[in-house]
Amino acid sequence: MFVRSFAVAICGLSFIFIADSQAQDNTNRIFFDTVVTGYVQPRKIGVEEMKYIGATYISAADSTIMQYATGVVQRDLDFYSEFDLVTIDSFYLRTYEIKELDMLGWARLGADYLVRLEAEFPGSKLRVRWRLFDTSPEQEISKGTLENDRFAWRTVAHQISNEIVRYLTGDQGPFLTQIAYVRKMGKAKEIFVADYDGANERQVTKTGSTNLSPTFSPDGSEIYFTSFLDGQPHLYKVSAEGGKPVKVAGFSGIVAAPAISPDGNQIACVLSKDGNSEIYIIDKQGNVVRRLTNHRSIDTSPTWSPDGKMMAFTSDRSGSPQVYIMDTYGNGVRRLTPEGDYNDSPIWSAKGNRVTFVSRTPRGRFDLASIDTSGEGYRILTDLGTNENPHFSPDGKQIIFSSTRLGTGDLFTADLSGRNQRRLTRTGDCSNPTWGPLRY
Amino acid sequence: MKRLALILAVAAMCLLIIAVGCKKPPPAPPEQPKIETPVETKPTEPEKPAVVEEKPMIQESQFQTVYFDFDKYNLRTDAKAALDANAALLKQFPDVIVRIEGHCDERGTVEYNLSLGERRARSTMEYLAGLGIDAGRLSIVSYGEERPAVQGSDEGAWSKNRRAEFRIISK
Repeated sequence: MFVRSFAVAICGLSFIFIADSQAQDNTNRIFFDTVVTGYVQPRKIGVEEMKYIGATYISAADSTIMQYATGVVQRDLDFYSEFDLVTIDSFYLRTYEIKELDMLGWARLGADYLVRLEAEFPGSKLRVRWRLFDTSPEQEISKGTLENDRFAWRTVAHQISNEIVRYLTGDQGPFLTQIAYVRKMGKAKEIFVADYDGANERQVTKTGSTNLSPTFSPDGSEIYFTSFLDGQPHLYKVSAEGGKPVKVAGFSGIVAAPAISPDGNQIACVLSKDGNSEIYIIDKQGNVVRRLTNHRSIDTSPTWSPDGKMMAFTSDRSGSPQVYIMDTYGNGVRRLTPEGDYNDSPIWSAKGNRVTFVSRTPRGRFDLASIDTSGEGYRILTDLGTNENPHFSPDGKQIIFSSTRLGTGDLFTADLSGRNQRRLTRTGDCSNPTWGPLRY
Repeated sequence: MKRLALILAVAAMCLLIIAVGCKKPPPAPPEQPKIETPVETKPTEPEKPAVVEEKPMIQESQFQTVYFDFDKYNLRTDAKAALDANAALLKQFPDVIVRIEGHCDERGTVEYNLSLGERRARSTMEYLAGLGIDAGRLSIVSYGEERPAVQGSDEGAWSKNRRAEFRIISK
């Protein structure tokens, strides 16, 4: 892996040296992708249809499970920006009269790696043996077996994807993570939770009220959110499994934009009890720990750096909303966004060096943009519809956001360079996404 | 179809009555008399004992809504005129307690708009207090972009959604 990324870096550098002014744009992109976002040319990976290796006849239901589970592994690996899924080209198969692709066939289709899946159904369980091959030279490089209840086939499939990502990249895969978001239900807005890919959607709050800005506790067990349950926007929490919301903080005025510290002990949020929106840190019982901002303007949308020492936030102290940075005592405030008349909703990358936010771009709509914490490298990531509320995946490799590009608002993901955009929800009326912690 | 038939029937009746009454042809719109009659019956209410208590008949709709510019919470000239009228109402009905609701258009993020809506409600409240309205009769809430008055994604809808509305809490 090192050799490959080194080669890509060398290519990028030599390209910069030979670039003339016309190619400047392109070199900027390569530089940005390789150096800033860590983007490397995705590796090509194929996933074979799951094969049944049991002794008895297989039921139609189990056969469907195998088919669906294969699809989940394929979509997981395709979602991961460091991989490209190699799909079987039926024209190729027909032309060469290939009934079943062998390793050489996969290699000819461009696959660097192949995943082979073999299933059994002992009792009420599903047992899948996965094997990972390097296609040239043909060689098994990793394998494992996973077992769970039949109905948890989706979990088994995500676990396989996690194992493959861990072997090939050394990183924890995000495939068992959860997302939370707001969905409009009639006049109400309720909190929903789903798997990272939008599957298994379930309603967490059933208040009939307006609930906004969900955020997971660091262990993923609770969701903090803003609710109008008592008439004013106040801070509540609810179990990620659902249940009755509990009020955390109800100061006079608004209590909004909760952001939980990386250690899970404190909540940065906006209180307007002094007559104006200011950023505070409160504890989990709702007591004020300290006030961070003191300005006549609107200060809102705090986000913690991964080390818990810095904070980015929105303020309109310059006359329009802009993103600022300060430490968690409110000292050393500096403006981060040099461009644009409207920059809001910052979120600090889980990798630490970049802040993504919403920017009103020259096309007059709201787009995701990102910038280095030094204030360099402003970059626009989207160009369709209105895009809002970015949030990072816990591994820092993906951004989830809401966009109206296909109607009334659905959730999408993109990688850090804005590539690989995917739609997660199809119901419309979805907004305010957030991403829970890594789970295995 | 049924409705059309009904309207036609009513129209025909009207025409008939008019024709019989004075043989003049103007086909008057048939729906108007229906609406006007209940309205006209109202003024025949004055009864002496009740008047003393039920005198403060104030409707929420008598309060004017205040509108704002994009991403702004300062009061425009038309907003101040509307608030002057609202202040006169509040002075006329000294027992009325109102809540001022601040709203935003759909642009911008949910969190920022919660704060912006509150600023709009607050500048509205402060202006009224400056006109001598007891602050104890005024409270505020921000709904951000959550409760648009008008659906739509153009300036026509947005300009109607950037507003501060008055709700009567008690009379």
